[in-house]
Amino acid sequence: MAGILKTEAGKGLALSAPASLYVGLLVAAPLGILVAYSFWTQTYVEIDKTLTWANYAEAATDPLVRHLMLRSIAIAGAVTAATVALAYPIAYFIAFRTHKKTLWLLLITIPFWSSYLLRVFSWKLILGFNGVMNSALLSMGIVTEPLTFLLYNEFAVVLTLAHAWAPFAILPIYVSLQKIDRSLLEAATDLGCSKLERFFRVTLPLTIPGIIAASLIIFIPTVGDYVTPSLVGGSQGKMVANLIQVQFGPANNWPLGATLSLVAMASVGFVAILFVILATALGRRIR
Amino acid sequence: MTTQNIIEISGVEKRFGTFVAVRDLNLELKEGEFFSLLGPSGCGKTTALRMIAGFQDHDEGTIRIGGQDMAHIPANKRPANMVFQSYAIFPHLNVGDNVAFGLRKLKLTKAGINDRVAEALEMVELGGLQSRKATELSGGQRQRVALARALVMRPKVLLLDEPLSALDKNLREAMQFEMRRLQQKLGITFVMVTHDQYEAMTMSDRIGVMFKGQLKQVDKPEVLYARPCSREVAAFIGGMNFLDAAVTGEADGKLQAQVQGFGPLTIDVNSNVAQRGPQLLAGIRPEQLEISAQKPEGYDGYLQGTVTNAAFYGENVHYHVTADGLQQPIAVSVPNYFHTVDHKQGDPVWLGVQNASVIDLGTREA
Ligand SMILES: Nc1ncnc2c1ncn2[C@@H]1O[C@H](COP(=O)(O)OP(=O)(O)O)[C@@H](O)[C@H]1O
Ligand SMILES: [Mg+2]
Repeated sequence: MAGILKTEAGKGLALSAPASLYVGLLVAAPLGILVAYSFWTQTYVEIDKTLTWANYAEAATDPLVRHLMLRSIAIAGAVTAATVALAYPIAYFIAFRTHKKTLWLLLITIPFWSSYLLRVFSWKLILGFNGVMNSALLSMGIVTEPLTFLLYNEFAVVLTLAHAWAPFAILPIYVSLQKIDRSLLEAATDLGCSKLERFFRVTLPLTIPGIIAASLIIFIPTVGDYVTPSLVGGSQGKMVANLIQVQFGPANNWPLGATLSLVAMASVGFVAILFVILATALGRRIR
Repeated sequence: MTTQNIIEISGVEKRFGTFVAVRDLNLELKEGEFFSLLGPSGCGKTTALRMIAGFQDHDEGTIRIGGQDMAHIPANKRPANMVFQSYAIFPHLNVGDNVAFGLRKLKLTKAGINDRVAEALEMVELGGLQSRKATELSGGQRQRVALARALVMRPKVLLLDEPLSALDKNLREAMQFEMRRLQQKLGITFVMVTHDQYEAMTMSDRIGVMFKGQLKQVDKPEVLYARPCSREVAAFIGGMNFLDAAVTGEADGKLQAQVQGFGPLTIDVNSNVAQRGPQLLAGIRPEQLEISAQKPEGYDGYLQGTVTNAAFYGENVHYHVTADGLQQPIAVSVPNYFHTVDHKQGDPVWLGVQNASVIDLGTREA
């Protein structure tokens, strides 16, 4: 035993054991249970443990499931696109245009100093019927009655999440920008590029890994987000996680809930892999 | 007029805050010339080069390339290309695309671009490596790619910032000859920044020596070596023994002087020095001295002393010799003819020097 611990592999194993154990217990085991449930059936009082594809068949054919799944992916895609698009200029500014990098990075993390729920509620206060936005617009005479399209829809979900996720997008993009050797930019200028061409031919392709990282960090948890759509999404803004919650809660159909969870995971994985492949290929085409 | 000035720099100054990085720079470079800017680290060489390239504005003076004032011409529009110290090879592009980078801005056909890339890579002896990844190149290959990428643009002027300093010694020496050959073949003006005197001397038509932001002397390597304009230039290029001398007479471009240790000698007037008074600083290169156990025949000045140090350098042997009345030991370097070190520490020796080997370095500072 002591001998094993002296080898490189042994040391590695020993070092990673606590994490492996933790991940095994908290991720792999629940996932296994979820997979098992998805092949069982909910009778009225107990679980019928004969294996069946019935839940998957239901998930595949139910239009509501497909609708919510597609909407979740669309909303998550919109949130990702909006967040990355807003984060990129900020990361660019911190990496290239300021000497007070630490201060700016600190400011970026300030939203984390308050709870996420609090921030979602703040958006409710801002966007609501009697909210800050409507009061301001009314008092300035820009509108004559409160706007109702601000809250309880997809837009509110995208806005709230884009704000919440911003630091997660800014940081990886900032890191990839910061890593760019400044002489590469000068070399591009030296070879005749204007600032804009230089951005598209050198800066952007070199930050694609940062963009991919930011996108995945945002996209994956957003598809399965439950809190935001229930608080600011209204009925139009409901997402697949809300349906899953219903199965595990009021509907008391755990097998279907488990199936929906797995289907959601698989869809997210598929879209994410597709995105990585596309983004990488696109980056390679820039010359 | 046979050769024209391709670069004309006059009265250029560059300040960073209150710090003057380059002051009163005046320089004219001819078409097809290999010029080196030589000086210790931090003296402003890179800043000077970057002003020519357009990466840095100058605060005073004018810079002309091909007769055109560069004041309002941005770096991407200047007829000069640069080889960066770090080579700045684009890591996301392969070798071919790196070299083609600037060409894609020109209105060329695909075949035209490919031809020019192939030709440029051939030129730096990387023929056929177009699809090699940038991350898979050795240091020497990166240097060649950087060279090809700049040369493929067919610039009037190629600017090189310490292009060989990242390479190991053998590769560096090989590249020195290769770059010189390439420059002569293409006839492009090369402006190279270096802190390596040997690199500057072996490669350049002319060298400009810079100290603390000021260009002190511009000359051919041989002239710079034989007629340095001051003590600091003389000390920076090659080895030099500095000796106090007193001028006793001057006639026909010759100085009669009493040189410390060696006695009366006749020294050629060095027109590069700024001032000369009765108190003269004389210089003698270590390899121009004769060292011998017996008094050697046929020299103009002699010194009798003692060896304090003998060091074998391979191609030559270095001795330090002291004598009464010298503040500093005299350095002597002799070629290694017979693989022997002839004089040991403590041996009494004679040094002999010819009049022509003594360099007038102007007024001695007190
Ligand atoms: N962007 C800058 N800001 C402030 N000082 C600078 C800047 N660039 C160079 N310097 C200063 O100018 C001097 C000359 O620098 P440089 O031209 O790089 O020297 P060299 O290339 O001869 O080593 C140095 O003292 C350096 O610190
Ligand atoms: Mg430098």
